[in-house]
Amino acid sequence: MQYAPSPPSARPRRSLARFLPQAVLAPSLAATFLYVVVFALWSVWIALSNSTLLPDYSYAGFIHFAELWRNHRWTIAYTNLFLFGTLYVIGATLLGLLLAILIDQRVRAEALWRTIFLYPLAISFVVTGTVWRWIFNPTSGVQQLVRDLGWAGFTFDWIVRRDLAIYTVVITGIWQASGFAMALFLAGLRAVDPDLVKAAQIDGARMSRIYLRIILPSIRPIFIAVMVILLQFAIKTFDLVLALTSGGPGISTTVPAIYVYDLMFQRGQLGEGAAAAIMVLLALLLVLVPYGVWIGWQRRRERAHG
Amino acid sequence: MSMRSKTQPVAGSFAWLAALLMFFPIFWMILASFKTEVGAIATPPQLIFTPTLENYRDILGRADYLSFALNSVIVSFGATALAILLAVPAAFGMAFYPTARTRGTLLWMLSTKMLPPVGVLVPIYLFCRDVGLLDTRTALVIMYTMMNLPIVVWMLFTFFKEMPKAIIEASRIDGANVWQTIVHVLLPLVLPGIASTALLNIILSWNEAFWSLNLTAHDAAPLTAFIASFSAPEGLFWAKLSAASTMAIAPILVFGWISQRQLVRGLTFGAVK
Repeated sequence: MQYAPSPPSARPRRSLARFLPQAVLAPSLAATFLYVVVFALWSVWIALSNSTLLPDYSYAGFIHFAELWRNHRWTIAYTNLFLFGTLYVIGATLLGLLLAILIDQRVRAEALWRTIFLYPLAISFVVTGTVWRWIFNPTSGVQQLVRDLGWAGFTFDWIVRRDLAIYTVVITGIWQASGFAMALFLAGLRAVDPDLVKAAQIDGARMSRIYLRIILPSIRPIFIAVMVILLQFAIKTFDLVLALTSGGPGISTTVPAIYVYDLMFQRGQLGEGAAAAIMVLLALLLVLVPYGVWIGWQRRRERAHG
Repeated sequence: MSMRSKTQPVAGSFAWLAALLMFFPIFWMILASFKTEVGAIATPPQLIFTPTLENYRDILGRADYLSFALNSVIVSFGATALAILLAVPAAFGMAFYPTARTRGTLLWMLSTKMLPPVGVLVPIYLFCRDVGLLDTRTALVIMYTMMNLPIVVWMLFTFFKEMPKAIIEASRIDGANVWQTIVHVLLPLVLPGIASTALLNIILSWNEAFWSLNLTAHDAAPLTAFIASFSAPEGLFWAKLSAASTMAIAPILVFGWISQRQLVRGLTFGAVK
């Protein structure tokens, strides 16, 4: 909004026009700052305080963290977060990419597919988790169905097996998020320069080779973005697990968010709950810091080249 | 980057199959909601059956179902109205009067969307308890607004950014005052953007379960909390649970279908237009 020098009488209005956009931004910024920064720091404070059943803000050091890591259930929850996070991100990324390549072959009614594939993400996870609980249930779901079809020895009882139940969470998670990955990949595939592909086709390269050598490398930034977004979905996972397994059987599918929920409401342990919450935030930093470094490196490289 | 001009029958049938598998769980649940309790757990599963509305009648007959549904409506619309009210001026300012810091501010706001809510659960729970906001719709409206504000600002910003700036100057030159410019020129242009952002926010708030389970008990509990509180579906109540769940997701299925483009754009944070 740069104009020629203005007559003096117009000045107050100009400065108002400069000041106003900043002023109207303030409430949104303040709310976000409060939610993210103030309450997160407050969490840190509670984690380091003597709070147990009641808040007590005197400094206690790292006793709650020590308690937390002595707790077998917590180590299971944290391990599950990494196991689930890894398999879920890889699975949803690959399936999403596959679906995107499929739809990229000009299938009919493309917008329709995109919406159907995105529905799992648009619908309450409490509801979809409940449905999948039913599908995995040995007496009502897939196992019974296949047995009724004639294969009497078929077993698919992962959801009641302590060692395998976490994989039902992985399957449900992949089902829910792969449409999201697909939509982003599809947008990326559409942005690839068609001349590059045509040139390769004229040279006689096969489609599979063109995808591997030309198309996929050129959408690398989308891979990274999809994986980062999926990772933070994984870290937030709460309602899906609650509806699917409630952390069971036993404690085998507990994830950190469920652990904190139980600490707060069943045992009233504020300090330990906050300490667990801080560990979740650290897991997020583990994802975001490398991503930030990568972004910075990319920018510097771009600047150096162009 | 589709370089093939003709529809591919093989890819087409694979897409069909994949879509069927994707939608099957939801379809199965909707089907079960029209069966009797015995029919819903019958083996082999019934594909052909006489549909019944009995489950819906039962669920709607429960006095508390309507109160859960009402809470969902009030909270998601309330939170959306508040977020839009706060975000429209902010996004407008950033899109039309950008400064050197605008890009950074936006990215910072968007990145806060990654915060796992569990990270701030303990202090927020304590705060709500101390000021008497536990189990109130007010608490949920405030939480959802704070939680979704970054995405609302971002979405609106991407819409406003696409608007032709010259049109505002043109209307000023034509002699319209600020108010006339806003009502007759700007509003018709920005309404579609605001509407699809509002739709996304309603969906996000409608589905939200973390805060609703942690901050409400009964009085302010929305549908997500109601469904989660249902006992495990192993029992005889699967058909009723299906009916309750179907009713809980029906608005999203319908709205999403009507406004597919906005839904896709919203769920992918504006990355897919």
